[in-house]
Amino acid sequence: MASRLLCRQIFSSVRRAVVPPAATGVRHMAVGGVPTDDEQATGLEKRELDAKKAGIADPFSMEINTTPPGTRDSPCMVPSIYERRLVGCVCEEDATYIQWMWLEKGDAQRCECGHWFQLQGVTPPGAAEAHH
Amino acid sequence: MAGYQVHPWHLVEPSPWPLVGGSAAFTLTVGLVMWFHYNSTVLLVLGLMLVVVTMVQWWRDVIREATFQGCHTSYVLAGLRRGMVLFIISEVFFFLAFFWAFFHSSLAPTVELGVTWPPVGIHPLNAFAVPLLNTAVLLSSGVTVTWAHHALMEGKRMEAIQALMFTVMLGLYFTALQAWEYYEAPFTIADGVYGSTFFVATGFHGLHVIIGSTFLIVCLGRQVVYHYTSSHHFGFEAAAWYWHFVDVVWLFLYVCIYWWGS
Repeated sequence: MASRLLCRQIFSSVRRAVVPPAATGVRHMAVGGVPTDDEQATGLEKRELDAKKAGIADPFSMEINTTPPGTRDSPCMVPSIYERRLVGCVCEEDATYIQWMWLEKGDAQRCECGHWFQLQGVTPPGAAEAHH
Repeated sequence: MAGYQVHPWHLVEPSPWPLVGGSAAFTLTVGLVMWFHYNSTVLLVLGLMLVVVTMVQWWRDVIREATFQGCHTSYVLAGLRRGMVLFIISEVFFFLAFFWAFFHSSLAPTVELGVTWPPVGIHPLNAFAVPLLNTAVLLSSGVTVTWAHHALMEGKRMEAIQALMFTVMLGLYFTALQAWEYYEAPFTIADGVYGSTFFVATGFHGLHVIIGSTFLIVCLGRQVVYHYTSSHHFGFEAAAWYWHFVDVVWLFLYVCIYWWGS
C-alpha cells in the first residue's frame, strides 16, 4: 500500500521534472521524446556522422590507402591538410614490418623498395576559414 | 587549421582525478588499517569521501567530454565496450574466488564441522522464502532494464524512464530485503567457515547490487535530462550489462549457497 503511494509520488515528481515532448518542438522529440544523433551529436562525433551521411568512407583515414601503381610517373597520392604527413609503406604483401617516412610537400618521394608517394594538399571539409 | 583532429581517438586533456583518486585510495586503505588496529575512523571516513568525490568528478568529466563535447566517436565507443567487457570479466574472476572457497569447504566438510554441510549447529536460511523472492526481484529487474533499453532505442522517452524507474526500485527492494535477511539471520560471519563463505560471497554481491543500482540511478537522471540519443547511449548499455552480471552472480549464489548449500 505505502509502496504504491511512494511509487506514485516518485513518478509524479519525475513527470513534473520532465518537459513534455511537444514543448521542445523538434521532430523526433515531438514524436517520442528521445533525441536522435542527428539532432544532438556535436564535436568530432558529429563530424564522423556528417561524413558518413555524405558518403565519405573512412573519414579518419583508418584503412590502408593506396592509389596504384605508385611509380615515379604515377605516384601514390597521399592527401594531407598539413605540409608533411607520416606514410607507412608495406613494401610487399607479406612484409613483416612497415617502412615509415615523412612525406614532405613537393616532389614525389621514393621508398627504399621502389614505391613512390606524393603529398596532395587538401582542405579539411568545412574548414575553409583558417582557425589559429 | 590548428585544432583540426585527423584521427578519431580521444586524447584526454590533463586531469587531476587519477592522482586524487590514487591518493584517496591510499588514504582509504591506511584508514582501514587505522580502524582495524588503532580504533580510529578519521582517515577511513576521509578516504571514503575522497574516493566518492573523485568518482563524481571523474565521471562527470567523461559525461562532459562525451555528451557535451562530442569526443566519443565510434572508435572511442568500441574501446569503451571492450573496456567494460574486460572489467566485468575481472569481476567474474573476483566472484569465482569466493565460489571456490565455498566449494572447497562445503564439498568435503571437515570433522570439526561434523563431516556434514551445512555444519552441525548451523540453521541455514530457507531458500524458498526471502531468497526465492530476491531471485524473482532480480530476474524481473533484468526484464525491466531490457525493456528500458528497447524503449530508448525506439525513441520512447517516458517508457524508458518508467522501465528504468522500475529497475531501480526493484534493485532497492532487493537491497532492503537482503538487509533484513542479514539482520534476522540466526548465524553470523563469525560462525565458522559457513558464516565466512556465506556472508563474504553474499556480502560482496550485495555491494555490487548497490553499485549497479547507483549506476542505474545515474542513467535514470541522465535520461531525464536528455543526454541519451536513440542510437548513442553507451553509459546506459554499460549499466545494463553490469546489472545482468549482478543478476547472474545472484543466480549462482542462490543455486550453490542458498539451495544446494542447505
